[in-house]
Amino acid sequence: MRFPATRQSVLERVRSEDPGVRRDAFGDLAEGYWKPSYHYVRLQWRLTPEAAEDAVQAFFATAFEKHYIERYDPAKSRFRTFLRVCLDRYVQNLRKAAGAGKRGGDATVLSLDFPGAERELDAMAAADLSDADRFFRDETVRFLFARAVASLEASCAREGRDLVFRVFEHHDLKPTADTTYATVARDLGLTVSQVTNHLHAARREFRDLALQHLRAISGTEEEYLREARDLFGLDVSA
Amino acid sequence: MTRLSDQAVARLRDVVAWPELPPERYEVRRLLGRGGMGAVYAAFDRRLGREVAVKVSNAPSAAGDLEARLRQESRVLARLEHPGIVPVHDAGELDDGRWYYVMKLVRGQTLGEHVPSLRGEAPVLSVFERAAETVAFAHAAGIVHRDLKPSNIMMGSFGEVLVLDWGVAKILGTPPPGEVPTDVAGPTPGDGTASGTRIGTPGFMAPEQQRGDASTAGPAADVYSLGALLYWMFTGRPAPPTADEATLGLAALPDAPSRRLRAIVRKCLAESPADRYPDAGALVQDLARYRAGLAVRAHRESPLERAGRIVDRYRAFILLILAYLLMRALFAWSQRL
Repeated sequence: MRFPATRQSVLERVRSEDPGVRRDAFGDLAEGYWKPSYHYVRLQWRLTPEAAEDAVQAFFATAFEKHYIERYDPAKSRFRTFLRVCLDRYVQNLRKAAGAGKRGGDATVLSLDFPGAERELDAMAAADLSDADRFFRDETVRFLFARAVASLEASCAREGRDLVFRVFEHHDLKPTADTTYATVARDLGLTVSQVTNHLHAARREFRDLALQHLRAISGTEEEYLREARDLFGLDVSA
Repeated sequence: MTRLSDQAVARLRDVVAWPELPPERYEVRRLLGRGGMGAVYAAFDRRLGREVAVKVSNAPSAAGDLEARLRQESRVLARLEHPGIVPVHDAGELDDGRWYYVMKLVRGQTLGEHVPSLRGEAPVLSVFERAAETVAFAHAAGIVHRDLKPSNIMMGSFGEVLVLDWGVAKILGTPPPGEVPTDVAGPTPGDGTASGTRIGTPGFMAPEQQRGDASTAGPAADVYSLGALLYWMFTGRPAPPTADEATLGLAALPDAPSRRLRAIVRKCLAESPADRYPDAGALVQDLARYRAGLAVRAHRESPLERAGRIVDRYRAFILLILAYLLMRALFAWSQRL
């Protein structure tokens, strides 16, 4: 496989003796989960934008300080579910205390685009909140894909392969009902063969990026394999 | 970072699972459908210049059952060369470990889409018999389908009737060297045939399959499913729990099938496998007898019924003789005058 097979799981990294490794692991977790968490507390807990922003920042900071994540037991639940339940409890406690928690001193205060996340809420008016776990999962996958798309775009731009990303964008990201290889070829001034080759490359890279992001937010290696299978129908164990 | 719409997320899920077939040979063009075992894509075979269908397994579970089933299916299909079975052209393993096989791309309708256009008993039987003949061929080759239902029967553009989805098929008897048939190998966790595992579709699966005795389900289980399929073709409903109810259901139809045909359906839907046709071949033979106006194995006729059937079968001949006798009588009468 093209994926780093020896990479430690998030849980192992979070439990690391090395403060740098531990902080990076938290950074990965916060990066992968902040937006689903923000949308979740805004819609499920009906916090104001400011309160939701504070709660999410404080949640990850407190989880880092108080070693919440280290208590995760893979035998009991998925990591994503565990994190959501921690978040629920955290917001519940915040409400009880009627005040926001303090941000941890040793933890990185994350620079996150909360206003951007807030703007997305307009598109979520019809979100089904009856199943909290499902909502959190769907938002996590949505954000994971968005990050993979952004990574692909950045990688293509960095390596002068903008055309590869544009083919991917036209065909897979924003297709219309009439989109075919031929229409993409016509729109971008390419041959159909070039379109299929670029698309092949882009999809392969996108898949690798999506899986890398998934691995970074999965609690354990086993869970990563299971998530890849359940979410995408892929076997990445080879 | 833009928020992705639900549609975009769904598309990207497909992109992630998009199979990477050898690009010099195949160009995967579109997703045709996704099921429990895997997904089917339309692809272009560059070497032979034709569109094909590619079935790709979902990632295997811990027990590896899906991949094993798809491998089994491709081998079953390769073994069954018959006009009613989609031919397999190629098979292999993707870089990510998923199994795939390449087959003819069938264009047409499922039986569910096609049946409303069939009017009367003869067209229904014509389509049904061709599906049953295909299953009979499989039974003769020692293979049991185990999941016959309307969505697994396809009508091709040129009227061909194809039996699809052999993913849970069982190979009977001794395997050829190097092959380990699912059931002969004995029940193993997750292989889909272990004791207590249900294989089939409610309303179309035999009672022994419903009880989870998948490992003992033989050709008679397919016979049950064929009976349920024929019942469905007449009524539009899955078979009721008992053969008696099915017979009553058919008899209550405005264009009720004949008593003998109802008896054939009844025999197929018998609770005990021993009371059904032993295999699809026997069913096909009885249907042929039925269509030829001969006595069927499924129904013991009274003398009156037999006379009625004989009259029915030889109606033209009998009418001819009667006409001849009438003419002779008229002639004799005219001579007397």
